[in-house]
Amino acid sequence: MAVSTTSSVTLSANDRLVAGVLALLLGAFLVFGAGLANSAVLHDTAHDTRHSYGFPCH
Amino acid sequence: MIVRYLLAALVAGLFSGVLMTAAQEARVVPLILHAEEFEGGDEAAPAAEGTTPGTGTEGAAQTQDHSSLGAVILDVVSALSPVSVAYAHEGEDHEEGGIMFGMSRFSGTLLANLVTGAGFGLLLAGFSLVSGHPITVANGALWGAAGWLAVHMLPAIGLPPELPGFPAADLGDRQVWWIATVILSAAGLYLLFLKQNIVAKVIGIVLIAAPQVYGAPQPGDISSNVPAVLGAEFAVAALATTLFFWIVLGLSLGFANEKIAKAA
Repeated sequence: MAVSTTSSVTLSANDRLVAGVLALLLGAFLVFGAGLANSAVLHDTAHDTRHSYGFPCH
Repeated sequence: MIVRYLLAALVAGLFSGVLMTAAQEARVVPLILHAEEFEGGDEAAPAAEGTTPGTGTEGAAQTQDHSSLGAVILDVVSALSPVSVAYAHEGEDHEEGGIMFGMSRFSGTLLANLVTGAGFGLLLAGFSLVSGHPITVANGALWGAAGWLAVHMLPAIGLPPELPGFPAADLGDRQVWWIATVILSAAGLYLLFLKQNIVAKVIGIVLIAAPQVYGAPQPGDISSNVPAVLGAEFAVAALATTLFFWIVLGLSLGFANEKIAKAA
């Protein structure tokens, strides 16, 4: 009834998994690019960030 | 609906990345710049050093230790220009590197923090969605603290945050150990915190301990030109600022979940 609509709109279990896996993949891609990718340009741009986040660097 | 959850994670991550940049500039970056004065000439200088707005001349002095020709040229260029020169195009993996789009060092750090913040925000949200435990304002700080444990504190036991010029084992070996430790720690914390079963909690502790027992790759020679005091200050500053980042991230993700994701 009305109670269920006011608390929250929840995802179905299937949609929740899809959203979660999408978020994990996209997040891992971004963190890898900024923190770990072995590209000199990415390394130099993110240099101070890599060090201060404690990513293995150099 | 799916997009709204991803959007909430992005908003929280970008917001945390901006705050993290301020914390870094206050506590961490000065130590990195200080350490680079002692760094040996055997490594390529991070391009465009010292082009942080307002510190151009100071930065140029700091790169004097670097003996490579590129660094010398860069010193001259950076002394003349407030904006760094990117001498590699985006997407090309030249050895000499350089900051993309010709940005200043600070802009590069800000961009990297935004990307990293969005990435960790998505990872935290994804972990929450897949495991079926929602992140709210009430529990957001705890989620953030758990993320900090998995990504920073536990890996730092084997690989402490390192300053430029610190001795270190092979980069590939360290990255593999670091990634494995983050994944095992996250899985272990999930079993330890979110499962009621005592057997699951014990397995969680075993997973967290496993990479530490195996041991992180260590350098053969630990001598360094960088003073130990700087290293100690840096390790604490790096862990403290990342804890700040993760607690902000957890809280803002809880807030964004309630405001954006559930506001359909």
